[in-house]
Amino acid sequence: MIQASALKEQLENFIRKTPDVEGALLVTYDGLSIASVIPSNLDEERTSAMSAAMLSLGDRIARELNRGVIERILVSGEKGYSILVGCGEDILLLTLANSDAKEGILFLSIKRLVQEIQSLLKD
Amino acid sequence: MDKLKIVIAGPVGAGKTSFINAISEVEVVDTDRRATDETALRKQRTTVAFDYGKLTVSSGQILYLYGAPGQFRFDFMWDILIKGVAGYVLLVDANRPQDFYKARQILNFIKERINTPMILGLTHMDCEGAWEAEEMALALGLIDKEARPPIVTVNALEAKSVARCLIALLEHLIEKTVLNKG
Repeated sequence: MIQASALKEQLENFIRKTPDVEGALLVTYDGLSIASVIPSNLDEERTSAMSAAMLSLGDRIARELNRGVIERILVSGEKGYSILVGCGEDILLLTLANSDAKEGILFLSIKRLVQEIQSLLKD
Repeated sequence: MDKLKIVIAGPVGAGKTSFINAISEVEVVDTDRRATDETALRKQRTTVAFDYGKLTVSSGQILYLYGAPGQFRFDFMWDILIKGVAGYVLLVDANRPQDFYKARQILNFIKERINTPMILGLTHMDCEGAWEAEEMALALGLIDKEARPPIVTVNALEAKSVARCLIALLEHLIEKTVLNKG
């Protein structure tokens, strides 16, 4: 059984290493936080639930509109990005980045993090 | 009044997803996910965004049915779903008094935001130990008999029963509209 603290460490490393990333959160598909490193002004419970609702809807849209398996949900705002990706069967990852972030680098870094987390979860 | 948005709200496991599934004429858009919280003790899957279904009634009205998630962590969805709603059904499992306070909180949440006609739908009334409608109304804080919304018994798995509930809501809507105009 993987410790939440190990996952949190992984998120912390990711935030430290990736430019312009401000937070990351691992959530169950039904909206409960597993490990979280998010700005203190955000409510963890609420952010988790929103992430699950959003990814679930995106998933449904991709399916109903024949867009295949969903890769990510990107919410691009004036002040930055919220990016949601699936991270194994029951877990999703939310990444928060500021507006200076480069999408390509961000996507790549997220992909790597997902692989790392998945291999952590396998052990 | 030909297209109406209706929300089905209520605590976890009251039967909201079943309700919409029982009556929708289109394939229901659901956002069910495997439950990992205390919900998992009672059912495997739970709604995380909303359920969507549609029903055309004989008078040519189209009802767009939106089922809300039951857990409070999804209250932002309630906020989104109740925008522009014509009326809503508060579904409560009459056999789970431990949920009545939650139902009351959901009702208060919605009432604080919109003043829209609603009815109370009681599910699991056939279970042994189910509360009586009168007791339920009191438990939910609906004390004033005159101002009380209609209360109906619903079997959320049965299309006929769900239809009766929606008709009761429509009648209530009409009644309220007439009263407001008069």
